Amino acid sequence: MSLEFSDKTKKVIDKIIASYPQKEAALLPVLHVIQKEFGQISAEEEILAASLLGISQIKVREVVTFYTMFNRKAVGKYHIQVCSNLTCSLMGADNILNCIEEKLGIKPGETTSDKKFTLSKVECLGACEQAPSLMINFDYYGHLDKEKINKILDNLE
Amino acid sequence: MMKIYIDDREVNVEKGITVFKAAENAGIEIPHLCYHPAFPPEGTCRMCLVEIEGLPKLELACSTQVKDGMKVHTKSEKVVEARKGVLEFLLAEHPLDCPICDQAGDCKLQDYYEEYGLFDNNFSESKDRREKKIRLGKYLIHDNERCVLCRRCVRFLQEVVGTGEMGVFERGADTEVNILDGIQVDNNYSGNLAQLCPVGAITDTDFRFQTRSWFLEKGEAICPLCSRGCNIFIEYHRGFSRFDIPKRVYRISARENAEINSYWICDIGRFGYHSLDENRAEKIIANNNKNIKSYETSLAFFTEKIKQLFYKKETSKITLLLNSFLTNEELFLLKKIFQDDLGIKNIFFIDPSAGEADNILLTSDRTPNKKGAEELGFEITQFELSNLEDETEVLIIFGSYLSEIFSLSDIRAYFDRVPDKFLFTPHMSELDSMVGIMFPTAMTPEKGGSLTNVDGKVQKFSPVLEVPGDGKAEWKILAGLGSKLNINLNYYEDLLSPEEIFRQMQKEIPFFEK
Amino acid sequence: MKEKVLSEHFSIDNFFMLDVYLKHNGYQAVKKALTELNPEKILKEAKAANLRGRGGAGFPAGVKWGFVPQNGDKPKYLCVNADEGEPGTIKDRHIMTHNPHLLLEGIIISAFCVGINTAYIYIRGEYENIALRLETAIDEAFQKGFLGKDILGSGFDLNITVHRGAGAYICGEETALLESLEGKRGNPRLKPPFPASIGLFQCPTVINNVETLSNIPSIILKGAEWFCALGLPTDGGTRIFSVSGMVKNPGIYELPVGTSLKDLIFKYAGGIKEGKKLKAVIPGGMSSPILKADEIDITMDSDALMKADSMLGSGAVIVLDEDTSILEVLKIITKFYSHESCGQCTPCRIGNSWIKKIVTRISRGEGKDGDIDNIIRLALNMLEKTLCPLGDAAAMPILSIVKKFRDEIETSIK
Repeated sequence: MSLEFSDKTKKVIDKIIASYPQKEAALLPVLHVIQKEFGQISAEEEILAASLLGISQIKVREVVTFYTMFNRKAVGKYHIQVCSNLTCSLMGADNILNCIEEKLGIKPGETTSDKKFTLSKVECLGACEQAPSLMINFDYYGHLDKEKINKILDNLE
Repeated sequence: MMKIYIDDREVNVEKGITVFKAAENAGIEIPHLCYHPAFPPEGTCRMCLVEIEGLPKLELACSTQVKDGMKVHTKSEKVVEARKGVLEFLLAEHPLDCPICDQAGDCKLQDYYEEYGLFDNNFSESKDRREKKIRLGKYLIHDNERCVLCRRCVRFLQEVVGTGEMGVFERGADTEVNILDGIQVDNNYSGNLAQLCPVGAITDTDFRFQTRSWFLEKGEAICPLCSRGCNIFIEYHRGFSRFDIPKRVYRISARENAEINSYWICDIGRFGYHSLDENRAEKIIANNNKNIKSYETSLAFFTEKIKQLFYKKETSKITLLLNSFLTNEELFLLKKIFQDDLGIKNIFFIDPSAGEADNILLTSDRTPNKKGAEELGFEITQFELSNLEDETEVLIIFGSYLSEIFSLSDIRAYFDRVPDKFLFTPHMSELDSMVGIMFPTAMTPEKGGSLTNVDGKVQKFSPVLEVPGDGKAEWKILAGLGSKLNINLNYYEDLLSPEEIFRQMQKEIPFFEK
Repeated sequence: MKEKVLSEHFSIDNFFMLDVYLKHNGYQAVKKALTELNPEKILKEAKAANLRGRGGAGFPAGVKWGFVPQNGDKPKYLCVNADEGEPGTIKDRHIMTHNPHLLLEGIIISAFCVGINTAYIYIRGEYENIALRLETAIDEAFQKGFLGKDILGSGFDLNITVHRGAGAYICGEETALLESLEGKRGNPRLKPPFPASIGLFQCPTVINNVETLSNIPSIILKGAEWFCALGLPTDGGTRIFSVSGMVKNPGIYELPVGTSLKDLIFKYAGGIKEGKKLKAVIPGGMSSPILKADEIDITMDSDALMKADSMLGSGAVIVLDEDTSILEVLKIITKFYSHESCGQCTPCRIGNSWIKKIVTRISRGEGKDGDIDNIIRLALNMLEKTLCPLGDAAAMPILSIVKKFRDEIETSIK
């Protein structure tokens, strides 16, 4: 069973590939699109990317395993990425992490059984003035405390 | 040309070469792991750092180009410190596998540690654990704990073979080289990976646990398994004084030749050496005459048979079967004796059937000297059993390939019609009981001589091993035969070595003059 | 009130939209550059402005542009480094969020100066929402004729593509950025050759930081002399300092180059919060050597900080109070660099991992005599021996922390 894009996505992919003089250069943007469409980049998705760009699957795997944002296994609807770098750690990131772990019952690297939340620890998000910060999917939240994080999580459908 | 100074020595160098190459040409070895002359510099192992006067930091010898007047120090205090530092990093995460690692004795980490290290271990942490016995290919095992991430293997598969079965995965200290989801390295050059690997990460299963590298000698030879004529080393055991070794040759490795095989050999050549020590013919087998026991008496009997037919002017009753493994010198003598002196026309070749060529080294012709035979004036007609005319009384066969191409029953049928059959071969086979006399002979590494490769390049070589048992090199037998036949005695008198035969070839055949 | 070059209009609503931007002298710099000036004049201005790179290396922008060969038939490329990965750094995020058209103007003028028709903005993958905002801004600029073919009738063409990274700090290093843009692992390249001659797709390439390029429009409009005078003679203009940590008012502060660090912390950022005492400051992002509380009498410019054995880097100031555990800081730093090491070269790959293991062991209470000396020795074995600056970026802060706060760390070992 090979993967198929929606027509809309196909257009996006074509536009991306046309932005580079060499097809291979489109790999990272294409992988982002694939991850958005299929939720993960497993072997099947690697083969899809490889065939789109005329490169080997091994080259795709080399790239996928280098960058932290490419998920080899699907993550939950909301991927909570807590910054564990310097300022955030010193300003209470551990507390925030504990709150989330308690509330959702998962540890970093795990997903809730209803597949709604995945929890991860990440490096500096570039939101140090709001420490402790985290990112849910691509949305930033900062100046966090127990109350705030509970509210944020409760408000996510 | 320009002048530079390496370790206070003045050296003349070509423009555009690297410090590493300049040092190498001057006989100065700079330690390195990731650098290999077949590939552009990687610059990642950091072992080859050297000090260049006027530059603030140490620079890589492998990738820095020489400049006029450059002053390089390859062994200054700073450089030695840096080298020790890199070594220490590598050894910190390296498993203590030396006692069970095939690379021992041939290992750069060991060599450099001895030269630059011998320092105490300062690593008090737990080493990273990784997969240790990955089945990488038909002849290959990969140990990721021993890997130093020089990435020669990945580069070789991508750039030389073009198959790219290996890649670099993960990041940072988790980085590893591996195949994809167990899809093995499956090409005819996989064996080069084991030779390329500077440590015992990639090892070959043929050599695994067989012996230790310090028991082996390396002899220069030419691979005879196709017509490329790749240069090889035959690695043979020196032997123990107090007990026997099961075989002589333990490994074949590639020998550099820029014109022919670069730094590589194919797996057929690399792993096809077992016949050197298996099933060798070592004693004369005389089936019909119990009086013939020694090589001498056997050869005398053989010579006599030929002489009789010559004096009766019935040499047309002799059929000669040759093969394209014979050296230039041997084929030359065969032509001189049988075609010229004896006027024999029934000369045929029996060679193993052609295979598929790849676009790298392996030729479809799986013999080493067809071109040599052609240049010597032979018309190479492959033998059919029907070529044995009713008239044939004496059949002379070189090599046992007959039994590989025709069925024994077919052979027997034709053989029964020929009264005298003489077989010269290095291996035992079913033919031994079907001929009058079987003479044990030498294989290519056991004799001196030359071979002509597919592109017409003539390569000379000296013997690396001794002929086992009573066996003799064919050129020796033929030189003796030429003399004893007494047809052209003076001609063969001085042809007592392959060199002398070659010089005679050069006089008579323009192709060999160069 | 200090004059602001970049952040003057950050607080205006919807300033990221082109019609609002145009109401505030928007694209006047592009107009002037493309219709009144020429590339040589622009290059002269850039050099005279003494505009140093704002990404971390501090290399003069005009000089960098001058390295690109003008003869030759290969296309040239401009890569905007929007990877902003140096821990503590938040400035580019603010510029691109609140004033994306300023960046686009900077890109257009720089590309015009060097003769570049294709530009890529390499933005870190986490800044997805900002990438979308940039793409919208680019579309707006296209519609209005500020991008595309024959911009403002000048005969100059330019396309800008936003290219997202995927989570790798090393891709902020210029050659790793190029590798990543080419669709490969972010492994830094050997230099020489330098990107100015062999860069993206083996063609001459300029790589500049977001903040650096964002300064170009005002240099064009108000002149190099004006810009340089805002800062120091050899280090012109203003900087957006990112201040975070235990200060009352963390955030961005656009101030002249050469502003005193003490002022930055105590006058502008409100001083240490909760009345605590200052313990240490990291002045230029995590890669810069740490300063003790008695070492902050210093001006925030490249030369002064270099003299003090530290560096201005990305201008990201992280303030640590008296309750901060230095061992904890060290642990976080070593964890970061070993996670972000690309793994190519021996000293960085193994050195970072080894030091991290030692520090982790110490923080578990299993420290030994000789651990600190070992850390120093290993860091020195990394320093200036690696393929790219990440090795130094790790070794320098580690060395400075271990040397300046040795006593504190030793208490964890006894």
